[in-house]
Amino acid sequence: MARYAIVFDTRRCIGCHSCTVACRVNNELPLDMIYNPVTTVGPAGVYPNLSMVHVPLICMHCDNPPCVDACPTGASQRRDDGIVFVEDRKCVGCLACVMACPYGARVKNHATGAVQKCDFCKDRVDAGKLPYCVLTCHQKARVFGDLDEPASEVCKLVNGQRAVRLLAELGTEPYAFYIYG
Amino acid sequence: MKNKHEGWGWMLAVDFFFAGMGGAMLVIAGAADLFVGEGRTSALASFLGAAFMGLGSGLLIFELGRPFQSWRVFMNPKAILTAGAWTMSLAIGAGFVYTTFSFALFPWSGWVLVRKLTAAFLIVAGLVVAAYPGILLGRLKGRPLWSGSGMTSLFLTSSLVTAFAAHYLCGLLYPPAAIGDVLAKFPAVTAVLLAVQLVLWVSYLWVKHSSTAAETIAVKRWISGEYAAAFKYGFILAGTLLPLALALADAPLFQAAGAALTLGGGLVMRLLVIYGGNADRTWLPGEVQYRSRLPHGDEAFLKAWNK
Repeated sequence: MARYAIVFDTRRCIGCHSCTVACRVNNELPLDMIYNPVTTVGPAGVYPNLSMVHVPLICMHCDNPPCVDACPTGASQRRDDGIVFVEDRKCVGCLACVMACPYGARVKNHATGAVQKCDFCKDRVDAGKLPYCVLTCHQKARVFGDLDEPASEVCKLVNGQRAVRLLAELGTEPYAFYIYG
Repeated sequence: MKNKHEGWGWMLAVDFFFAGMGGAMLVIAGAADLFVGEGRTSALASFLGAAFMGLGSGLLIFELGRPFQSWRVFMNPKAILTAGAWTMSLAIGAGFVYTTFSFALFPWSGWVLVRKLTAAFLIVAGLVVAAYPGILLGRLKGRPLWSGSGMTSLFLTSSLVTAFAAHYLCGLLYPPAAIGDVLAKFPAVTAVLLAVQLVLWVSYLWVKHSSTAAETIAVKRWISGEYAAAFKYGFILAGTLLPLALALADAPLFQAAGAALTLGGGLVMRLLVIYGGNADRTWLPGEVQYRSRLPHGDEAFLKAWNK
């Protein structure tokens, strides 16, 4: 069984927001919903030693997802391959998962009343394709793949470089990794 | 955008208020029956205890994005919300059944063992309902104001203090069937619990203030930020200190006024907790700045787009 993960190489990200747009267009999201924002930290430092980093955010597809534990209806689920998703027909929009997620990865669709989130484009992944955001990133700052496959690029990046997790101290074991310069 | 930073609304806060108070009212009714004797608290209180929980549940349903599918919240036994929904439903039913024992027109009103068993169940279920909002909030690791075990004791204390106040008011409106010796002590008990609640809140905010940076920011909203006036004057002064003083006065009118203010304080506390907790999350790098730049939803281009 695969264990999907994503690596964000912030050294490559230029903050163009192509991933955000690709996600919204292909997932047909309303204007007021964003699954994968890209934040900017900086510029910091004193000239000429300035630095700025763009941080793509997304559902972290945690191994210990608090959103799944919090969901009273069973709509929030985690597949064996690690993809965390919302089964729309079961969601009642109680926002328990929104409040439980420390990464702010979930948004309520006010038109349907349900909560939605990034699901790694699971239908595409099941068909052997890449998520839209990964496909769109022209800087190759997003690397998606199977962490259980030693030959995969994602496995090499996670194990071979200083890949870190956001809010790792919370014990949610996110499967989105970040490489900083 | 406005819904990119979702949070619970006032109906959940009011649900927490009514459910917690109602659950604790049933605890008091059951405990008085088991440990003191039958008919020592007002039947109106046990009825309203169950009714308040029902009212809270109704508000919770309206808070949902899909209220007509609210039955689904009973489906995941691993979720604390599901546990709360089941416990509250059972407590509501048991509370109404328990109330019927106070009226001879019900043929089972003389079944002492069943009444005692129901009272025992009310104590357990009522305590769970009274404490569960605190457990629910305390488990949310990414919410600096709520995370930790402190919320449980704060909610349990507030539920009990509002329940004693509500019991006292119910007793004035519809006196207990037997003697009112227990009821007469409720203002004093309320005063003690108000003092305990004050100490708990001061220590909670003090500890949080000296913890992580996110927790410090969250607490500052209460001390000197946008919630400071509601906290200091609404909750501490009008909802705690003033009713404490009135509860110690030896006049039913003052004690009743103190009880009413105690209820107001409990409601203000829950609104503060919900809105205060909504305001802060453990933010990710650059996230605060990013969100501050998002449109609020009433911009001209959004209106034009949505036409």
